[in-house]
Order: sequence, then C-alpha cells, then structure tokens
Amino acid sequence: MTISMAHFPILAIMVLFLGAFLVALFGRKSEVLRNGISFLATGGAMAFMLALIKPVMIDGEVITYWLGNWAPVSGWAIGISIEVDALSLFFGLVITVAVFVSCIYAFTYMKEDDSLANYFTLFLMLSGSVLGLVLSGDLFNMFVMIEIMTFTAVALTAFRNNYEGAIEGAFKYLAVGALGSTAVLTGIAILYCQLHTLNLAQIAATLPQYADSPLTIMAFGLLFIGFGTKAFIFPFHPLAADAHAVAPASISLMISGVLTKCGVYGIIRLVYVLFQNVEVPAVQYLVVGFGTVSMFICVTMAFNQHNFKRLLAFHSISQVGYVIAAIGLGTALGLSSGLYHAMNHTLFKGLLFLTAGAVQHATGSLDLDRLGGLAKKMPKTCILFLIGAASISGLPPFNGFASKWYIYQAAFEKGSTSGNFFFIFVCVVALITSVLTLASFIKVAQSVFFGQLSPEFKDTKEVSLAMRIPMWILAVLCIFTGLLPGKVSEYLLTPATNAAMNAVNYIDQMMGQGYAVSHGVAGSLGDTAVTFAGVWDPVIWLLLLFCVTCAVAIVAILGSNRKLGTREAPAALQEPEKVAPAEAKYEPFFSGEESVYSQVGGSDLFWGFKHNLKKYFSFMHDWHSGIVNDYALYGVVAIAFVLVFCIAFV
Amino acid sequence: MFQNMMDKSVAKSPWLFHVNAGSCNGCDIELVAVLTPRYDAERLGFRLAGSPRQADIVVVSGPVTRQTRDRVIRTIEQVPEPRVVVSIGSCPRSGNVFKGSYAIDGPLEKWVHVDVAVAGCSPKPEAIMAGLAQATEILKQKRKEMRK
Amino acid sequence: MTTFLINLVQLLIFPGLLFCVVFGVLLAGIDRKLVARMQRRVGPPILQPWYDFVKCCGKETIIPRYAKRAIFIGAPYVGLAGLIVIALFIPVSTYGSAFSAGADLVVILYLLTVAGVALIVGAATSGSPFAGVGLSREMVAMISYELPFVLVLLAVGRVAGTGTAIGCTFSLGTIAAFQAANGPLIAHWSLIPAAIAMLLVIPCEVGSHPFDIAEAETEICEGALTEYSGSPLGVFRLSHYIKMYIMTALFCAMFLGGITTGIAGVVGIVVDVIIFLVLCGVVSFLCMTIPHAICARLRVEQIFKFYWTIVAGLAAVSLIMVWVGL
Repeated sequence: MTISMAHFPILAIMVLFLGAFLVALFGRKSEVLRNGISFLATGGAMAFMLALIKPVMIDGEVITYWLGNWAPVSGWAIGISIEVDALSLFFGLVITVAVFVSCIYAFTYMKEDDSLANYFTLFLMLSGSVLGLVLSGDLFNMFVMIEIMTFTAVALTAFRNNYEGAIEGAFKYLAVGALGSTAVLTGIAILYCQLHTLNLAQIAATLPQYADSPLTIMAFGLLFIGFGTKAFIFPFHPLAADAHAVAPASISLMISGVLTKCGVYGIIRLVYVLFQNVEVPAVQYLVVGFGTVSMFICVTMAFNQHNFKRLLAFHSISQVGYVIAAIGLGTALGLSSGLYHAMNHTLFKGLLFLTAGAVQHATGSLDLDRLGGLAKKMPKTCILFLIGAASISGLPPFNGFASKWYIYQAAFEKGSTSGNFFFIFVCVVALITSVLTLASFIKVAQSVFFGQLSPEFKDTKEVSLAMRIPMWILAVLCIFTGLLPGKVSEYLLTPATNAAMNAVNYIDQMMGQGYAVSHGVAGSLGDTAVTFAGVWDPVIWLLLLFCVTCAVAIVAILGSNRKLGTREAPAALQEPEKVAPAEAKYEPFFSGEESVYSQVGGSDLFWGFKHNLKKYFSFMHDWHSGIVNDYALYGVVAIAFVLVFCIAFV
Repeated sequence: MFQNMMDKSVAKSPWLFHVNAGSCNGCDIELVAVLTPRYDAERLGFRLAGSPRQADIVVVSGPVTRQTRDRVIRTIEQVPEPRVVVSIGSCPRSGNVFKGSYAIDGPLEKWVHVDVAVAGCSPKPEAIMAGLAQATEILKQKRKEMRK
Repeated sequence: MTTFLINLVQLLIFPGLLFCVVFGVLLAGIDRKLVARMQRRVGPPILQPWYDFVKCCGKETIIPRYAKRAIFIGAPYVGLAGLIVIALFIPVSTYGSAFSAGADLVVILYLLTVAGVALIVGAATSGSPFAGVGLSREMVAMISYELPFVLVLLAVGRVAGTGTAIGCTFSLGTIAAFQAANGPLIAHWSLIPAAIAMLLVIPCEVGSHPFDIAEAETEICEGALTEYSGSPLGVFRLSHYIKMYIMTALFCAMFLGGITTGIAGVVGIVVDVIIFLVLCGVVSFLCMTIPHAICARLRVEQIFKFYWTIVAGLAAVSLIMVWVGL
C-alpha cells in the first residue's frame, strides 16, 4: 500500500497518538528516549501538515479519507471520515506549529518536575486530539476528540499539583467544561435523531430540509454554546483564568493558543458549513454579541489582576472575542480577518505565555506586585516580551495591528452595508479594547521588566538558550506575519475563507459530485473576493522608519557632547556623617542615605481609570467569586439564554 | 556651526531647578514672583523644570541645614553639565541669623562652587532677575569651555 | 530611481522632517507668545522652542544606573520617526505625498499610539518611580481621548464615504476628495459636535496644558521625563511640537478640507499650503492656546471622566445623527 497525500492527515494524528503510547511505555526508562519520541511525534505532525500546504492551499484540492475504507453506501455515510479542506488545514498548521514549539519549550521548562513521562503522554494525547478535531469530517468524532482534549487538558492543568489552587483550578475547568461537552453531545444527539447521520458533509447537505424545525434550531444553539465553552467565551471565561494561573506555561500555550482555536473552528464549521445560517441577522447578533461582550469584559478584568498569567489569560479570551466577533459578521472580509487574528493570537499569546513561564522559571514568582526591574537581569526575555506585547496591543508593524485593522474594516463595512448601528458599536468597542489592551501590557512591562529590581530577585539569571529558541520561533513568526499580510492572505487566508464559504464544494468532495445540489443546498455564501483596503505595505514603512531614525540620530549626535563614563558620588558624600551618641535622639529626624526600594508597579498603576469605574470593578470582583457552583450557574444560564434566543429569533 | 548655535541657545533657554536647603520660604516666594506676569522671567527663556536632570541653573535658597546638606549635593550632582549654581539670599552665603546654630552646615560655598550669589533677605525680584541673567552668561562661558 | 529620490525629499524636507520641525516650532512658539500676551506679559520670543531643543542637544546626557541603555536612548527617536511617518500621510491641502492617497485613519490612530508608547516605554526603562507614576497617568490620558477620537473618525468616515460602494471609508484620500467636491465637512451641521469633540481631543493628545499630566507635572518631578537629559530630552520636546502640527493638520484635513483657491500650478499649491498652515494656526489657537491660558491643570481622573462623558457624548451624538441620516 503506497502512502499518498490522502494518508497524510490520518498519519499526522496517528503519529501523535502513537507517540503518546510509546512515551507511556518507554518514557520512564530514559529521558532521552522520552524527549526524542515527543520531538519526533510533534515534528512529524508538523511536517505532514506543512506537506499538505501545496495541494490543499495552493492547488485547492480537498483531501478526503474514509477510515477503514468505509466509503458511503447508496448516499449514506457510514464510516468515520477525515476531510481536510483549506479551513481545516489552516487550523491544523496553526495547531501543529504551536504544539511543536510547546514541546521543545517543555524539555527545559519542565526539567525540575517529576513524572515527566506522564506529562508528555498527556501532552501528546492532547495534541493528537486537537489535530483530530480540526481534521475530522465526522461530528461524533469531533465530540470524542473534544472529550480527550478536555480530560488531558484538565490533567495537565493540575500537573503541578503542589501549586496552591492547582487542583481547584483543574476541577473548575472540568466541572464547567463538562457542561459544555454535555451541550455538544446533546446537540449532536438531536441532529442524529433528525438526520440519521453523523458525517459533517451529509449533515450539511440534508440539514436545509429541516432548517425551520425547532429541534434543529435547538441543536444549533446547544452546539454553539458547547463549542463556545471550549473557546472560553463569556461567561465561561473565569475558568480560563483559574486554569492558566496554575498550569505550566507550555500548557498555557496549548490551552490559550490551541484549545480555544478548536472552539473557534467548531463555531466556524457550525455557522458557515453545517447550518449555513451566518447570513441570518439573529445568528450574527448572537455570535458577534458574545464575542463583543467577551472582548470588553475580559480586558477590563485584566486591570485588576496581580498574577501575570491570570492577566494573560483574560487577554487571551479578549482576543478570542475579537475572533468570534469577526467571524460572526458573515462577510468574507470578516471571516478572513477573524482567521488572521486567530493565527496571530496563537503566535503572540503563545510567546507571551512562554515569557511568563521564563520569568517564573527564573524568579519563581508571577506576582506583579513583587516583581520589577527584570530587564537588567533577563534582557533577552525582555525583548521577546516586548515583541509579544507590541503584537497584542496592535502596534504597527507587528501582526496584531494588521489583523485588528482588517477586523475594524470588516465591522465598519458590515455596519455600513447593512445600515445596522450594532456593528458600528462593535467597531467602537473593538477599538477601545485595543487601547485598553495596550494599557494592560504597559502595566505588565512596568511591573515585571522595568522599574526597580527588588532585593529578593537580585540573583536571577537569564533563562537558557533552549528555552529562548521556541520563543524566538514564535517572535519571528509574529514579525513575518505582520510584515507580509499580503502573502499570508494569498496563501493561507483566502483559501481558508473560500473553503469555509463554499459548502457545496465541501459536501461534493466528500459524498460525490452533485450530492449537494441534489439535496437542494444553495451555492456559496456571498462574495469571497477579499479586498484589503488601504495602503499597508509594512516593508516600506520599516525602511521609512529606519531612514528617519538615522537622519534624526545623525543630527542629534553631531551636536552633542558625549562624555562616556560613570559618575561617582562626589567626594563630599563619601563618608556619611556619623551621629555622635549625644545626638542619637535626633536620629529619627535625619533619615539615612541608603536608597530605598520603591517600585511603582502592579496595583499602583492606572489609579485614575480604576477610580472612575470603581462601581463596575467592584461588581466584577464580586461576580467572579471563584466558587465553581457560581460558574456552573453562569454556564447554565448562558445555555438557557442561547436556547431561548435561538428558538425565538433564529 | 551647530556648536555655535548650541552655545547661543544655552544662554537663551536656561531652565531653573529650585532647591530649598532649609529656607524660611521668603526667597522662594520672591523667586516664584519672578516668574509671574509682573516681572516675567519667561521672556528671557526661563522655565521652572520639575526634575534636576532637565535643569541648567540650580537655584539654592536657605542656609544649608544638616539634613538637607547631602541632598543638596546629590541634587546638584544630578544636573547635567554645563550647569550653574545660583544662591539666593544671604542665608546660603553666611547663614544670616542662623549662623552658629547646631542645625546648619553652611555656607553653600563649602560644598559646591557657587557661581552667582544674589544677596538680600529676601532679595528683590529685580535683583534675582539680574543674578539669573548673569548666570546665563556664565552658562554660555561654561559651554564654550566644555567643548575644549 | 526618481520616485525614490522624490520620496526621500518628501520624507526629509516637505512634508516630512524639516517642514514638521519648522512648522511645529513655529506653532509652539506662537502658542507660548499668545498665552503670555493673554496673561498681560511679554512672553518668550517666538523661536523659543527651537532654542529649547538646541540647548537640550547641547547638554550632557546622563543615563541612570537602573535604566536599560538601548531602549532609554532609542525610545524618543522611535516616537519621532512614527510622527514623521504620520506627517507623510496627512495631505497638506491639495498637495499630497506619495503615501497620502491611500492613507488610513486607523493607521494614523495607531501611529499616534506608537508615539505615546515611545514616551511611556522610555519612562518605564528609566527605572524611576516618578516615571512609573507619570507613565501610568499618560496611559490613562491615552485611554481617555481614544474613545471620542474613535467616534469622531467613524462619524467622519461615514459622511465622507457616502459616495463609495461600501458607504463608509477610513481613507484620508477619499475624505479629501469628498471635501474637494462637496466643500468642507464642517459645513455639515450634524458633524459640528464631532468637530467640537475633536477640538477637545487635540490638547489631550498633544499633551498641552491643561491636560499635560505626563510631561510637566512638578508634583512628580516631571513625571515620565524625570530621568531624561541631553539630546533624548530634546527629541521628546521636539516630538511634542511636531504633535501640535500633526493634530491640527489632521483636524484641518478631516474637517476643513476643500478650502482652496482655484489657482493651478505651483503657485496654486503654494498658496493652498499657506492657507492650510494659517488654518492650522487658527485651530491651534482655538483648542490649545485658549485652554492653556484659561484653565488650571486637570487631575487624571478628571480627565478620564471629562473625556468619556462629555466629549464622547458629543462625538456619539454626531455619530448617531450621521447614522440616522440627518
């Protein structure tokens, strides 16, 4: 049996699961074997995905594969299928790159932990399940993958169970995540009962007949909120904060960069391919509404945080809110910009979590109120952090700016063409959230890297090169995707958007030509020509910036008198005056000359902003109670709300 | 050419930093009065800077008390070259009525070189302005010397 | 090759570096002189900001021990470079540089953010606690003015885009073309609240009194610029003057475009540019000089409240009126 292109997806998934199995068997014996197997497994999966770029993205093929060769019989799909179109491959690429980077990072970062064979087994299972989710063509298979994903993620969150709150955080994730999984399962069960099939393509083909039935709409609502739980949208966001705060940094990268993307992928498949109801205004309101609320609430919550990783977790959900709001707009530009931002989010968020891990590794602390001045001790990590922070804040010419700009354009255009003020409101909220994100990262930069070094951290050392390499990989990718949005759009985004909007092709590839039309599925949705308006050619900009900087620097240097050298304290101060015993009673009035540690950071910053919004912040503080029962309640209320909304309006 | 422009500008835009070395505030009030519309020091380019690092002329008032002595020295050290020290009032020169007290450790000349001393208790704003104008000339000289 | 040379000339001379510096210094100097006159005193000579800048370049640069040297010295230059790039984007009346045809308001907004971030990062790297407080206040000021600014941009974009296929635009080129055809946007009465909001946003963006929390706080030893001396300080002050020009030019490009003589050729361009600069001066007088002379400095939470209630309210009124079609 020859291995052809069609086998690559299943090979990628199997390589990861096989790796997990082998690490479980042999990992305890030898560290080299364990690391080697993990590296080969993740590298192999990434290689398979990269090899698929040419046929799927560039040539536009769709790879289909029936497990066990159980092809459809008389128009009914019986077997489990794998269908890799450009959308799946897009997410597959993002996922495998993130998995590979996380794996390399974990080699050094987790060195001091024990039972690492367990860690890598779970990690490879997590990776395999996530890849299986996005490549799967079968709805129940997706659910199975979600379950593997959830359980391994929960176990990995609690991996460092000596941390305070680790098991509690994992428990919250499990409990409320189970709500989401239940919602997905119920939705799938309802669809199966109605349509008697689990194959995505066949569901997409046969669903339009039942489009108005309340059961179908209920299934839509359940599936939407179920996938939304995986993406941690509002009101499931407190789970992410608790989970991220205690998970190891490489797992935080996975949770924020990879698991949330699975939720996003699920929502895209649901709305664009399965139900094809993204042009229904009520659905747009639902999706965009959830995205916008997540965006804004999470970024304001981040202002109150003391823990570096909790703050990053809230920002992670805020950015996922951007993605969901963008894909909910229903236009090609919206979907395209949402996908771009999803990719960028994995890259820059991953980078930020890894730098947080590096800080934790070097100092042992993540408390923003205690850290400070680390730029002197960890300069290279500082540069990496600044790249990540500039990307997430949307500063040109990094990648966050490009994708956010397209999201604003998409929202503004949608508002204009539909005449609906809601989308303009979304655009305004998005712009405000961007500047609040910037403020939050200025706070982190000042609290962790700049400012004064606390005496308790004066022995910190820079982290090793082995930990910096994965961070540099992500940073370089951040810079490149920011400098070349045209190329990214041409090779990655446009094929993915076309694939998502062209459900007919998806169905036909799977079930045979003509299947879709015979079942009355309409043609592709809307206009897939994406025009990225405006002159944004970042390479020219960088040259400009460089020229101007040179010109200015020359002028300034010509005139100044630079004496390089250090200054000593003047002679008059060399000996502090000793206080004679008779005058000791005046001592309290002559305070000493030692420099005092006075770092302004953490909670000291942005008083003006927090003061004015005191009521809002105290309400948020009380609402995020930390009790898992409350979070489960919010989850149930959200499910109920979505169901009622869907049945009433969709 | 740039250097000549800079020499001239240093005299045209001297920024002040005021250090109170235990003064009774009388001289401080007169100094602030110099910046008000009536005497208007801003027409000569004077500006009160908030940080010693941004200052050219350090204006010291008050007899140098023991508590402030080290701070005054430190603050003046933080002022970038070229800098000029101006003492206002007779307290920094001789201690005035506080001379001989256990609490003061002056005169200012003992610790830093004073370029211009404006006498009086408290000196009139016109006298302060004249002293500051002299200080700008000395500033220009110092910049020229710095270049060599 | 010739396009490269033309671009270089535009970058370095007009409307780039040299022009910005000259006109920014003039605007700042005239502002100080007028404030002094309004306070019944003589005031500094008009070229005083230039003397300030040159003097700073002639002083010694001291780098504090806690500071990260490369970022500390480089931050002001990055900020200045960002501002020059914005200046290239804004069409000066009928003369646009190569880039102003496709200039986008969102890009300009973000580049202004870059300039602000340069100040903040420079302050952060200096390691001084005063700088920490100063940068916190500057960031809150930035958050404050962004909301009304964004609302104004959306309102203007909607009106100027009524001819286009999509119905809205972020492009300054389209706005300029719309005003060339239909007259200045300020004549649309539904945009007048937006214009007032923009006039109020300008002093906060520029950082001039009474919104100068970041720079001139004597309460916290100059705040963000505490540890700066020498030529980096000079470049920061130069950025301040250039920002005055850029913000007023942006206002004129957005609301007062289309006020041109009909003369063709180079003479026409020169006259139009002079009219544009005069308008910039008038706008500067209205929004920067008058509050400077009259008001006391606002505290940071007062700034936040003022911008997110009153100014944002004005801009939102305008946006809603524009949307409804008035």
